[in-house]
Amino acid sequence: MSGNTEPIPSPAQGVGPVYRSDKEKPTATVSKSISYENVHVLPQTPQLIALLTMIRDQGTGRADFIFYSNRIIRLLVEEGLNHLPVVEHSVTTPVGRSYLGVKFEGKICGVSIMRAGEAMEQGLRDCCRSVRIGKILIQRDEETCKPKLFYEKLPADISNRWVLLLDPMFATGGSATLAVEVLKAKGVPEERILFLNLIASPSGVADFAERFPKLRVVTAFIDQGLDEKK
Amino acid sequence: MESISPVYSAATGPERRYSPPWADLSIIGIAGSSGSGKTSVAMEIVKSLNLPWVVILVMDSFYKSLTPEQHIKAHANQFDFDSPDSIDFDALVQCLGDLKQGKKVEIPVYSFVEHQRQKHTTPLYSPHVLILEGILALHDPRIMELLDVKIFVEADMDVCLGRRVLRDVKERGRDIDGIIKQWFNFVKPSYKKFVEPQRSVSDIIIPRGIENKTAIGMVVQHIQRKLEEKSEKHSATLQELRLIASEEKLSPNVVIMPQTPQFVGMHTILQNPDTEQVDFVFYFDRLASLLIEKALDGTTYTAREVETPQHNKYNGLGQEGTVSAVAILRGGSCLETALKRTIPDCITGRVLIQTNERNEEPELHYLKLPPGIEQHSTVMLLDPQMSSGGAALMAVRVLIDHGVAEEKIVFVTCAAGRSGLQRLAAVYPRTKIIVGRIEEEREPRWMETRYLGC
Repeated sequence: MSGNTEPIPSPAQGVGPVYRSDKEKPTATVSKSISYENVHVLPQTPQLIALLTMIRDQGTGRADFIFYSNRIIRLLVEEGLNHLPVVEHSVTTPVGRSYLGVKFEGKICGVSIMRAGEAMEQGLRDCCRSVRIGKILIQRDEETCKPKLFYEKLPADISNRWVLLLDPMFATGGSATLAVEVLKAKGVPEERILFLNLIASPSGVADFAERFPKLRVVTAFIDQGLDEKK
Repeated sequence: MESISPVYSAATGPERRYSPPWADLSIIGIAGSSGSGKTSVAMEIVKSLNLPWVVILVMDSFYKSLTPEQHIKAHANQFDFDSPDSIDFDALVQCLGDLKQGKKVEIPVYSFVEHQRQKHTTPLYSPHVLILEGILALHDPRIMELLDVKIFVEADMDVCLGRRVLRDVKERGRDIDGIIKQWFNFVKPSYKKFVEPQRSVSDIIIPRGIENKTAIGMVVQHIQRKLEEKSEKHSATLQELRLIASEEKLSPNVVIMPQTPQFVGMHTILQNPDTEQVDFVFYFDRLASLLIEKALDGTTYTAREVETPQHNKYNGLGQEGTVSAVAILRGGSCLETALKRTIPDCITGRVLIQTNERNEEPELHYLKLPPGIEQHSTVMLLDPQMSSGGAALMAVRVLIDHGVAEEKIVFVTCAAGRSGLQRLAAVYPRTKIIVGRIEEEREPRWMETRYLGC
């Protein structure tokens, strides 16, 4: 999108729990819906919108910004983790009853795309305490104007792990695409990559979802159009 | 809409009503001459019962504020404090009537120095037995109707005068001349005219006041019997409500968390006795955070337009009003880490409700609610586990009694029994309930023990 064009806001709609009548629901701009099976947008609850409002507001201070984005990131991580496999697991509870539950299966690791992705590490650690976190540094090459891999440090056994790829803002998807290529080159199957993202642009996420059909994207919000320079 | 009174919006029908033990208050009136030992008798009764829900209310708190002229007279010991006219019986009747219905009341604070009612008041809530003590406790016929037991304490008038002199000099800093003057001008005539006639309308006359152990013992026994009756009645109400509600479908206000793989996985870890405590705490906090986030979906949001750093407009939402929480101790404190993770500066009140092991009756032991709680837009009630829901019913009732509207309450629990949920939803249909998992019936409370490690 060119810098001059005002982004068209997504249609405003009433948000709120089902037990509220439409009249009682406040209106707000919610995520654009996008029909790719591998793109999962968090439920647009009024609370999520309120959190997004806080982080979008230029008047929000740094401490609040960090706090509120962490809350969204935790919700993203929780949603992302639900895509991991589990196996049935029965336990005898402390009161001597049996409970048929599940056990987490498969090892995971986080990979943050520096430097914005690093901001999501705390949220990931809040949900997965001792998770390993790899790093990838991608910058735009001055000559070619294309994203270029500058640095990567990933767990040695990454090909055996599920990878939670972290990047909060997703515009054209150049860095994310390159990061996925790097992971695939390390032997990580595409279907074991989960891309966690706060705000995405619709065209970028569509290209990305088509290019990597087996990878899953979990995002909080898809904008009508996102400024490239973010 | 049916018309429901603002404070008691609890019931959908008479049979659905939860009645806490304090809604059936017994009031014992103790009258007698000044210095006869009323206070000592009342104190002795309370001491031998040693229960938080037996409370003494002293009628002195209901003295009327004096006009400047009366104030001058009072300082010259020329004001009659022993006449019924000096007591604000209307306020007292109102207060006792409210207490009898289980409401919270504000007891005035009277300053003997300024002869004025003070701006601040003392809140009084949830006594099961109230001892009303004052020289004219049996005077007003409206109060007589509210009293369950009427006691008259009697002592020799010389003894009374002696005690009064000692007390007024020591505790109220008065001079002997003034005390004697007041005694003969007001106290004694008033005794003959107003106090002594109460003797004939009393149920029990206790001669020799505090020394009369037999009489005090009898009163104590009577109160104990009353308390037992109340407790049985309370348990029976809870039982009845359980039967009524067990047939029903869960109300839409009961939100059971989606059982996603991660959520079930966390439940599995929590229920596995082999899980280390450190892991238990971690997964409990993680699970509870999701419950709190869910609970916040139900709060009030209004449209809020903001400008992004790129100077675009965004039509967002902002949370309206104050969200506070009340932890039902002791289990509720386990949810506070998750609460603070979500709302770091959340105003948090406490209510300690213990279930009596003998008869499974919930008992309210302690209460500290944030001031202005009735104006908060959402009040979360935190309890990690709810089996029969007795404590939950009581906690919701406590909030409603403190002016919180039923629909502003969100009860948050990790695990609950189905019949307990049905009962809570039947009695308080507008309260929202967020539940992590449906557990089997009559599951003992074990989560707090695991979380706190003892």
